[in-house]
Order: sequence, then C-alpha cells, then structure tokens
Amino acid sequence: MNETVIVKDVFKKYKMHTKPSEKLLDIILPGGYGEDFFALQNVSFTAGKGDVVGLVGVNGSGKSTLSNIIAGVIPPTSGSVTTIGKTSVIAISSGLDNNLTGRENIELKCLMLGFKKKEILEMEPEIIDFADIGKFIDQPVKKYSSGMKSRLGFAISVTVDPDILIIDEALSVGDQTFAQKSQNKMFEFREKGKTIFFVSHSMAQVKEFCKTAIWLEYGEIKGYGLCDDVIPEYEEFLKFYKSMSKEEQKIYREKVMQKQSGLLVNNF
Amino acid sequence: MKSMITIIKEQFRSIYLILRLSAFEMKSANTNNYLGRVWEVLNPLISLGIYYFIFGVGVRGGRSIIMENGQSVSFFSWLITGMSFWFFANPSIGNSSRSIYSRIGLISKMSFPMSVIPSYVIMANFYSHLMLVTVVTIYLQFTGFPLTIKFLQIPYFMISALAFLFSLSLITSTLSTIVRDFQQIVYSILKMLLYLTPLLWHTNKLVMSGVDLTFVLKLNPLTYLAEGYRSALLGTTWYEYAHPYYTMYFWGLVLILFFIGSILHLKFRDRFVDYL
Repeated sequence: MNETVIVKDVFKKYKMHTKPSEKLLDIILPGGYGEDFFALQNVSFTAGKGDVVGLVGVNGSGKSTLSNIIAGVIPPTSGSVTTIGKTSVIAISSGLDNNLTGRENIELKCLMLGFKKKEILEMEPEIIDFADIGKFIDQPVKKYSSGMKSRLGFAISVTVDPDILIIDEALSVGDQTFAQKSQNKMFEFREKGKTIFFVSHSMAQVKEFCKTAIWLEYGEIKGYGLCDDVIPEYEEFLKFYKSMSKEEQKIYREKVMQKQSGLLVNNF
Repeated sequence: MKSMITIIKEQFRSIYLILRLSAFEMKSANTNNYLGRVWEVLNPLISLGIYYFIFGVGVRGGRSIIMENGQSVSFFSWLITGMSFWFFANPSIGNSSRSIYSRIGLISKMSFPMSVIPSYVIMANFYSHLMLVTVVTIYLQFTGFPLTIKFLQIPYFMISALAFLFSLSLITSTLSTIVRDFQQIVYSILKMLLYLTPLLWHTNKLVMSGVDLTFVLKLNPLTYLAEGYRSALLGTTWYEYAHPYYTMYFWGLVLILFFIGSILHLKFRDRFVDYL
C-alpha cells in the first residue's frame, strides 16, 4: 500500500446568502436556503508516498478549499477523503497567539497537535534553531516582523514531522536564505517518502519541485498528471486568458459562475 | 448516551492539554497589564465595593442578614461569599459561549477534540476563582467567620459549578457558533441572572398578588451554587444535605444540559468551520 491520500468524488457546496435572514432560513429549513455555489466539483485523485503534487489554478479555482479538505480542516459536502498519517498545513497566516512569546507558542501549537510534554521539550531546540529568530524567541509574537512570524510557523509545522504536508503559498515568504533552507527541508521530506501538496502561483517553483500536478479550474480538475504535461497546458491557458478582451473575459467568467452554481452540471 | 460518553472520554484523555491551554489562556489575557494577574482579584474587589455601597449601605441601610440556621451575618460577608462564586460563573458562561467561534481559525487546523475548547476556557477562569476564594476565606477569618468543618463543602460545590458550567457551555458554544446572535442573548441573560440569583438582595418571601414566588428564584441552578458557597464559607449549614430535593433537582438539570449539549456539540462540530 503506497497510497497515502485518496480523494474520491469530492464536492464542496457553499450557500450564497445576501442577507442575514437568508442565513437563518438556511439553518432552519430542512432543505436549506440560498443559491448554491460549488467550490469543488467531482474531484478525485490519489497520491502516494514520496509524491510531490503541485496544485495550480487561477484565483478562486478551489486550491485552498481542496488543501483544507485534504488537511481535514473542512469536511467535504459529499465524497470521501482518506488520509494515512499525520497531516500538517503550512499557510501564511500561521495562527500564532500574538500575546504569547515564541517559546510559549511553540509549546501551545505542539500541544494542540497532540504531542506529549517530553516530546515537545525535545523538539523545541530544533524548532528554534530552524526558525532562526535569536533572542526574539522570548519576546511576544506581536513584536515579530512578518518574516519572523512565518518562519516560526513554518519551523513548527516541519519539525512536527508530518506524513502529509500541505504548503499553501508559504514558501514565498522569507528571504533568500530562508527560502533555500525551507526548500532543502522539502527535498529532505521528499527523500523520506512523505506526501507533499504544494500550492503556488510560481510555475518555476512548481516545475522545480513537483513530480505531478493538479490543475484546478473553477472547482474542477482540468488536468491531472505529470508536471511536464500539465504545467505547459496551464501556461498555455493563462496566455489565452490574458489575451482575451475584457468583454470576453467577462463572458467566460459568467459561464464559469453558472457552472459553479450547479446549473450546467447534469452528470449526477 | 453514547455522545455523553464520547465527550467525557475526550475530557479525561486531554486533561494535561486542558491544564496547559488554560494556563496559556490566562497568561495571554494578562500580558498587556503591568499588574498582570493581580487584576484577576482587583477587578472583583472594585465591583464588590460599589455593590456594597449601593445595596448594603443604600438599600438595606446596613442591616445584617439572618441565615437559615438563625445566625446573623453582616451584609458585606453575605455579599462577598455569594459573589466569589458569581465572579467565576459570569465570565465562564460568557467566555465559554464564544470560545469556539472566536478560536476556530487558530484551532481548526489542529487535531484535537473540540469539546476541550470550552473546558479550557472555563478552567482559565477557575484559577482566578481559586485566588478569589482564598482571599475571601482569609478575610472571613478576621471578621468572625473562622474556618469550620463545613468548609469541606467547598470542593463539592466547585466540582458542581464546573460540571454545570461545562454542560451549559457545550450548548451555548455550539449555538453561538451557528447563530452568532445567540451570544447577545447569553450576555443579556447573564445581566438578568445577577439580579435573579440571591447575590445582591436577600429575600425569604417573594409574594406577588398572594402567590409565593420564592420557588421561581430557586429554579435557577445558580441559586443552589451561590447558597452552597455561602454556607460553606460562612459555616452555616451543610447545604446540599439540608436540601436533598434541591440537590437532586440541580444534578438532574446538569444531566439534562449535558445530554443535550453533547448531542448538539457532536452533531455540529464537523461543520463549525462552515459557519464562520
């Protein structure tokens, strides 16, 4: 069994509400109320050990929704997601408590991830070393620069040794040195046979780093396969999209909106 | 039944987590103040001062209160013993009710049981409660109410208070995550409860057009707890033993709240993120 992430027929439906009263109706009425919006439609794929999967797509295509679903942060509306091992998400907003010091935040986050006191004590020096924030470790996080914050968040997420790692546009923060360091860490993880999902808008990074890629477009998988096949296709699409006139782009977007409200879907 | 067991198991499995998280919670709340944790005691004392001035001096004109066992207690001692419980219940109910939706952004990416969130928020308030009870007990030593054997009721009433607050928080935290307006209802009810619990004014008889309405005040479970704390600290009665039916009513209510709360919590917790 090599597969660590199995996503099958996943749909994620949101209701769009314009007024608070509609929101209330949605909760009260058994069938719900409001216009449907499909953030993900019929998404299926599998990933195994040592796979590095790039998630690409324009803004609003459902990349973050998909990574949150893989991480178990939000449940899918229908379909199933099976993950084997511990998952960890690295996002830019790393969720640190601003009033606590870096050291306390390390303990807090590790505790929440389910580690024992002893394990945390062992991991702490490693995290501090990787984050490289020096004396600031005993200062409240609100005094940190944004680079320091994301470095600390990143350091915690990689040191807890997850089996499945989801990186949501987080490698773009930090300076060159740190970017290099985190990239090396990623390569190390790949060698160790962990599954990595990599969300990025930088095609160069995706090409360098990933073996396979998933191209999401408005909630659907448009392309899935080897990076060398999918990425050129996606770049082609980007070029095409940019070349459209404003009017054409608008028509295109409207069509897509219709699709996401479930109007053009008749295969289920 | 099954959901109640699930929740209890989660609590016991995460005891260390609850203790650490509540310590951080309290620390995080106090870092901006130079006096830090001193405010946890100072704030209630300031409120007590004003309540004493209005209700003790103003309304009652300094008359003391006759307890169940016939003992006469000065209004100030009566006030602080009941309020030492209220200063725990009030922030606990308010904070635990908003505990889930205010933290879900931070917590949803983690893998630990959500039912731990209200309990660690309550625990964070419990520490300052312990401090306040200690201060009140010390004060009573010098004002004619030395420790008696009846002080042993305190642990019982603390556990009862924790059980009640946690059961209630399971309901309120779930509902206010789904419908944010519920939080406002909680706050309004809390404001009412300050006057509907024997904390600021004392009565033995509440007669309205010939009907004795004292039992209405007793339906409020906070009355049981406040009176219990008072009996223990002042050493007047074995409260839970002297009022067996009231004790049964209280625990029955806790059980019902816990039953509803655990079902609600488990039913909705997977979807909490969607309600943000």
